[in-house]
Amino acid sequence: MEEPIRLNECDPDFIQEVAEAGGKNVQLCFQCGTCSGSCPTAYAMDYTPRQIIGMVNLGMRNEVLKSDTIWVCSSCYTCMTRCPRGVEITKVMAALKSIAIKSGIETKNKKAPAFYKTFVEVAGTYGRLFEPMLFLKFALKAEDSLTGSIARLLKDAPFGLELTKKGKLAFMPSKVKNMQQIKKIYEIALGENK
Amino acid sequence: MKLGYYPGCSLESTAKEYDMSMREVFKALDVELVELEDWNCCGATAAHSVDYLLSLALPARNLAIADKHGLNIVVPCPECYQKEWSAGESLGADSELLEKVNKLIGNGLQYEGNVEVMHPLDTILNNIGIEKLSQKVVKPLKLKVVPYYGCVIVKPPRKKKFDSAENPVSMDRILAAIGIEVLPYDLKTKCCGGPVMLASEEIMLKLSYELLNKAKTAGAQCIVTACPLCHLALDAKQINIEKAYNEKISIPVLYFTQLMGLAFGIAPKKLGLDRNIVSTEKLLKSL
Repeated sequence: MEEPIRLNECDPDFIQEVAEAGGKNVQLCFQCGTCSGSCPTAYAMDYTPRQIIGMVNLGMRNEVLKSDTIWVCSSCYTCMTRCPRGVEITKVMAALKSIAIKSGIETKNKKAPAFYKTFVEVAGTYGRLFEPMLFLKFALKAEDSLTGSIARLLKDAPFGLELTKKGKLAFMPSKVKNMQQIKKIYEIALGENK
Repeated sequence: MKLGYYPGCSLESTAKEYDMSMREVFKALDVELVELEDWNCCGATAAHSVDYLLSLALPARNLAIADKHGLNIVVPCPECYQKEWSAGESLGADSELLEKVNKLIGNGLQYEGNVEVMHPLDTILNNIGIEKLSQKVVKPLKLKVVPYYGCVIVKPPRKKKFDSAENPVSMDRILAAIGIEVLPYDLKTKCCGGPVMLASEEIMLKLSYELLNKAKTAGAQCIVTACPLCHLALDAKQINIEKAYNEKISIPVLYFTQLMGLAFGIAPKKLGLDRNIVSTEKLLKSL
């Protein structure tokens, strides 16, 4: 971190916001770095998991939500398994993703938020995941231009074709019968937290 | 024995062979699997990345359905398994949250907290038992394999854990019981990068390459897995990994249930062994 930390720009309620979004015990962290040492994707992060937890504790909301780290996290739970202080690190990462998505903050990483949003949208349409629709919608959402989306679809086409040949991609979605119930869960869960 | 069965979305599509072999193997072990009526997607890693309450309500609806039918559930996909047990634990520990989620589910469905969520590795080892399993073996498999657990079968450790988070052995024991030589593999719980496959493909390629490379160096004839997403990364994406690292790997990746089925004398086609992307033909001939 080359920039100085400006405490007057920090958000003292951030820890609480993260806890309510499902990431608890951040304040118990004593900065040992077991999480960073255990993380399989730390090499691709801009801040290590230890730094992120420290930054949440300081209330550095903007920096944390804009970081690439939260999107590079593969949710493997190794950090959370090994944390000697019981910080729910993996859940904190998920909570941060959800706060970033809801606040509409400009993130460096565009593809991961697009993936999570698309997944939830597709699973909400059918009650179950329909992979062809996930691939299609993700390609449209993740790229800046239609040409980009088409290029992505063409690049992934052989993969999809191979799966189809083996009978592993359905042409029609498998659907939940009681879709009204799923719609209601979505409406209330997503509406209440807006 | 009768158990509720939650296949999850992958087992209906990309992991069809996991579903086929799971059903065959449990039938052979005299366990009746009852597919959970009108189950829904657990939300996987995506739901919590969008909304916490949604990430609890989706798995809770499945738990409520199981509760209504008085069933404990067996969940083969580790992602679904973890989402289901962890929603159960979170709701069990917080009555306010449980009430909130139950209101969300509504329509006469309520989660009362009576459902046990099991991974098939746990069920086979601790409810069915190695002894019964051994009795069903008609053809011990003379194979050398590495067991790959991936992340969330054992992580984070749950209150009622059935295996070690750092060095799990449940699959090793099952494989040994069907005659297989299980080779040491220190990456057995290291992430394959599956969850970031679409958004950050290069991470998945790197992590999965390490896994494939180490398995090959260890002298394994195949990698054995219990996770649809790990399987997708290691098997279906193997050709992309070979291209990215300019190295021929060609190692088959099988579900543990496919190998159990073979040892039970079940026909390869019934176990979906023609659906794995890296061909299993050579491996089958060697048996």
